[in-house]
Amino acid sequence: MTAATTAAGPVEEHVAALSAALHGPARAKERLVEELRGGLEDTVAAYEGRGVPYERAAELAVREFGSVAELAPGCQRELTIAQVRHTARAVALTIPLLIGCWLLVRTAGHQQQWQLWAAAAAALPGAGTLAATGALARRLPVPDRLPIAVAWAGTVTALAMAVATLGLAGTAALYGNWPLTVLAGALTAASHALVAGSARACRRCARLPAR
Amino acid sequence: MRADAVRGHLDGLLLAVLEPGPLHGYAIIAAVQRRSGGALELKTGTIYPALNRLERVGLLRSAWLSEGERRRRCYELTDAGRRALAGERDAWHEFTSVIGAVLDPAPGHPA
Repeated sequence: MTAATTAAGPVEEHVAALSAALHGPARAKERLVEELRGGLEDTVAAYEGRGVPYERAAELAVREFGSVAELAPGCQRELTIAQVRHTARAVALTIPLLIGCWLLVRTAGHQQQWQLWAAAAAALPGAGTLAATGALARRLPVPDRLPIAVAWAGTVTALAMAVATLGLAGTAALYGNWPLTVLAGALTAASHALVAGSARACRRCARLPAR
Repeated sequence: MRADAVRGHLDGLLLAVLEPGPLHGYAIIAAVQRRSGGALELKTGTIYPALNRLERVGLLRSAWLSEGERRRRCYELTDAGRRALAGERDAWHEFTSVIGAVLDPAPGHPA
């Protein structure tokens, strides 16, 4: 019997326990768990190749791999940073879009240059977070408080979007260009859902032990 | 050698075994153990988040490769990764030279 043909056993149990302990963006978690499973299966196969029976090979592989307590903090740190980047990207993309949208509604074509600068500036904290957790992290460690700071920044942004959605919905009739106002309201509501979900997940990740 | 002693050097070890060419996770572990003569007590699961981190900061890139029914994520050094490896080597040589001079002074040097 090989690891590939075993439906359940120590390897699957270990992977399931690790998976249950980890939280983060679905795609990042799926990728990490698949790599962990593959690494365990390769280790089992290597032991089997040396003549060790499957059950014993699986036990040895799990022991060599590390316990959930030993592995989860390191894996969770990566998933937390992935969630931070997801939230920062959502904020960085949606805020300038929404500011541009609202300005379009209010100025009805009398847009000024400072408004475009304001929209660009709103993306800077998100872009800064992406840099701090990307190439900059080669030289500067990612601040421990960054996940919780991004989580709450995302939460506040999502709340502001919810208020803006209600405001736009309530005042749509006052504007001459109401189809544009309704469109801005719909975009704001969609952005609220995107940012609020990501910020909630980020708050959860930030509370988990990671190193 | 205990895992605590390895922790600060894990990035350098991973970059070094990837220098000759792309490898997947288990092959990376096997290469580290082979090069160390099996002396490193490393929980092998710890390398996966480390590989993830090195990719995030741009020192590695990766892609899924299929082998039969299995697919494995293969990692390779980027140009930044090669520069980082050179930096790790320089830092390590300097460190061992300084500590070695203190621990095992050459004859004729002041005690």
